[in-house]
Amino acid sequence: MYVELKNINKSFGDFKASDNVSFEIEKGTLVGLLGPSGSGKTTILRMIAGLETPDSGDIIINGKRVNDVPAGKRGIGFVFQNYALFRYMTVYDNIAFGLTVQKVDKRKIDKRVNELIELIGLKGLEKRYPSQLSGGQRQRVAFARALAPNPQLLLLDEPFAAIDAKVRQELRTWLKDMIQKLGVTSIFVTHDQDEAIEVADTIIITNKGKIEQVGTPREIYTLPKTAFSCSFFGNASYLNNYEKFLSFDKIEGVEKAIVRPEFIKITKKDEFQKYVASVSEGVVEQVMFRGDTTEVIVRVNDSVIVAKRGLDEPTIDVGEKVNVFIYRIFVTVGDNAYLLENKNLNESSVVI
Amino acid sequence: MDNDKKGNPIVKWLLIALSFIFVVLFLVLPLVTVITQSLRSGFETYKKAVTDSYTVKATVLTIEATVSAVAFNTIFGIFAAWLITKFKFKGKKFLTALIDVPVTISPVIAGLIFLLTFGRQSVIYPYLQSMGLKIVFAVPGVVLATIFVTFPFISRELIPVLETQGTDEEEAAALMGAKGFTIFRRITFPHIKWAFLYGIVLCTARAMGEFGAVSVLSGHLRGKTNTLPLHVEILFNEFQYVPAFAVSSILVMMAVIVLAIRSILEYRGKKAE
Amino acid sequence: MKKTAKRVIPGFGLSLGITLTMLSIIVIIPLISLVIYTLKLSPKEIIDTITNARVMSSFKVSILTAFIASIVNLIMGVVLAWVLVRYDFPLKVILNGIIELPFALPTAVAGIALTSLTTDNGLIGKFFAKFGIEIAYTKAGITIALIFVGIPFVVRAVQPVLEKLDGSYEEAAQTMGASRFTAFRRIILPEIFPAAITGFGLAFGRCIGEYGSVVFIAGNMPYKTEITPLIIMSKLQEYNYSQATAIALVLLIFSFIILFVISLVQHRNAKILKGG
Repeated sequence: MYVELKNINKSFGDFKASDNVSFEIEKGTLVGLLGPSGSGKTTILRMIAGLETPDSGDIIINGKRVNDVPAGKRGIGFVFQNYALFRYMTVYDNIAFGLTVQKVDKRKIDKRVNELIELIGLKGLEKRYPSQLSGGQRQRVAFARALAPNPQLLLLDEPFAAIDAKVRQELRTWLKDMIQKLGVTSIFVTHDQDEAIEVADTIIITNKGKIEQVGTPREIYTLPKTAFSCSFFGNASYLNNYEKFLSFDKIEGVEKAIVRPEFIKITKKDEFQKYVASVSEGVVEQVMFRGDTTEVIVRVNDSVIVAKRGLDEPTIDVGEKVNVFIYRIFVTVGDNAYLLENKNLNESSVVI
Repeated sequence: MDNDKKGNPIVKWLLIALSFIFVVLFLVLPLVTVITQSLRSGFETYKKAVTDSYTVKATVLTIEATVSAVAFNTIFGIFAAWLITKFKFKGKKFLTALIDVPVTISPVIAGLIFLLTFGRQSVIYPYLQSMGLKIVFAVPGVVLATIFVTFPFISRELIPVLETQGTDEEEAAALMGAKGFTIFRRITFPHIKWAFLYGIVLCTARAMGEFGAVSVLSGHLRGKTNTLPLHVEILFNEFQYVPAFAVSSILVMMAVIVLAIRSILEYRGKKAE
Repeated sequence: MKKTAKRVIPGFGLSLGITLTMLSIIVIIPLISLVIYTLKLSPKEIIDTITNARVMSSFKVSILTAFIASIVNLIMGVVLAWVLVRYDFPLKVILNGIIELPFALPTAVAGIALTSLTTDNGLIGKFFAKFGIEIAYTKAGITIALIFVGIPFVVRAVQPVLEKLDGSYEEAAQTMGASRFTAFRRIILPEIFPAAITGFGLAFGRCIGEYGSVVFIAGNMPYKTEITPLIIMSKLQEYNYSQATAIALVLLIFSFIILFVISLVQHRNAKILKGG
């Protein structure tokens, strides 16, 4: 294991930012620390960097306990949320700074900086100051600056938060490619689930100072293990009494039942519905055009749920009575989450 | 901005005229008076007054006190501003309030406080005497009083600038392994350059003009502990008006230079943003 | 086993050490010695000193003249700030620069200049003498010196606030049908009020303690034009430190009350703006 956190605790006054946090990260992976604001994800990142000190617990990098190693000596590259570019230095000097303070030979610095400027595609802008760059360019400079001293571990705090939505998409892909190409172990913090799913190899979900779940994006999305991780992903709706929906196993002590839009099939009364035996009738409350799909909000069995319909399907109007079929439901019992499949899906061949 | 084009022109020019009348009466006229009065008996008398040996000695002491105050308060200002803006610690508010105490105290009282601290009735007076240190009614007292009244002048300019700048850049630099002095020189200083110079200018102006506190501590020993403002007082009270204004004109010129530098610095500082 | 957290930015210990050492020499030790000295005085002595008729009348003179001067500066300060921020006109740069003259010009120089202007032979004094009005060596003279000293405070407090108001506030008010004057009274005035009061308080505090510019013009007649700092000064020249300290305490308490009121105003304002 390359990075290990063991039983980390950290409080700010009464606020518990890390509550017995432990996890491990393999060398070369790109890890996303995902959670809502205040979940303690940034604190974890800052403790790994040495910008905060844990109250208790061990931080181990490459087999060595680094708790007492000062931030500047941990060999870590850090990209700050607002980049923290040195406003009074040029792009070149920003990138060169880390090597300069290590008193690296001038010619080597020059070679490395030019190499990185080439890599981030900002050739010709070396003499610019940060204020003369666009948000995306600044992010690239921050990235290059963090990479210049060849860190073994790269930490990124909300790397895309300060960028326009349009450029963000492009930068995500760019950053993922870049990190894969360089093979540097990286951890980034984000509150954006799409970003985590798209960029990370491994996602660590944090909530209220605790680690909820660790896994690949696919695992986390399709098999959430905790109540929090199943409600955090997707555009989740809650069912007030899932027992009223047909063909699901009944489980003792269910607290919440959660469905995502892709778990739901909405059909017009006159449309073909394969599992018609298990549908419930609902009333459409709102229809919203979303560009690539239509979002439909339906009241069914006293619950209000969000579903989607393709643009090629017949349009649905507000107030219309529709058939609602649910493929699967996440139910939570205590802190654990379970997946319930609609039993009709397996029996369907028999029924017809 | 085209605020200018809106609103009633009569109101506008009335207000501008009112401003000019006020400023001319209260600020420009006194300045002009100093110059005209000092030249009233011709340039020769002026020259004699300015080059008088007591005047020269007072000028030297004023420069000494001013340079000491600027040097002391610069060191203090930089470290205090760094401490207050880059770190969190208990008692920060109290510390900040203490730094501002000297400017809220009447100069006469400032003088009194130093008299009580270093004078005959002080607890430490015997120790000072055994070390042969004479502070009250001597040059060190004048210097201390000058430092006191200008104490927060530099830190006060630096703190707001560093406050808005935040700590991100310093953290980033520290993370890359930069040492304290390197961080200050390469990252922090460029941000505070103008504010710093501005603080020095203000500190200089106030230091060379301080009257009340210095007056209490100097003992008015002509040729020894007299600064320029004290020299002006003595001359004026002796009804030597022309020499008094001649010496004042030196201070007026310094004040005008200070104001000019100040305006330039403010302009450069705004441009640098 | 909780250790003190490591700080990432270097220099905490060094800065703390240097700051505290210098602060101790210049501020803390002198303040403590003032407290020690005060504790040695008997309450009766303090009360007798400050209730002395001549001292009491000096408080009256100091507070009255400082208050009037600060009110003049409050009004003129807002006008000057407004003119400097909102209008363009010739010599604006010079007007803006000269506002700070009282900070740059030694108070003693200002004192003798104002005195020579306002005596019966002076440029201004001559004019008023025709109507039998005396300025120098009266309370009017003291007030004029204090106006001079206090000019920059309100202007410099209000100016940045006005600069931040980008005109859209007034425009918003005007689109709702408010007249320009109403817009000023209801929109601008509340915005600059805390800053103006802060400037007023700072000027007031400064004027109460002012010495250099006042001594020459005041004439220093007991019961009439003798200000408190001057009484302290004459007690010091008589080496009467205990009475000087007693009077100084009243002045100190007064300035701390002013500072406290300023911070209350600012605190309340911050609460409204930030909803804290």
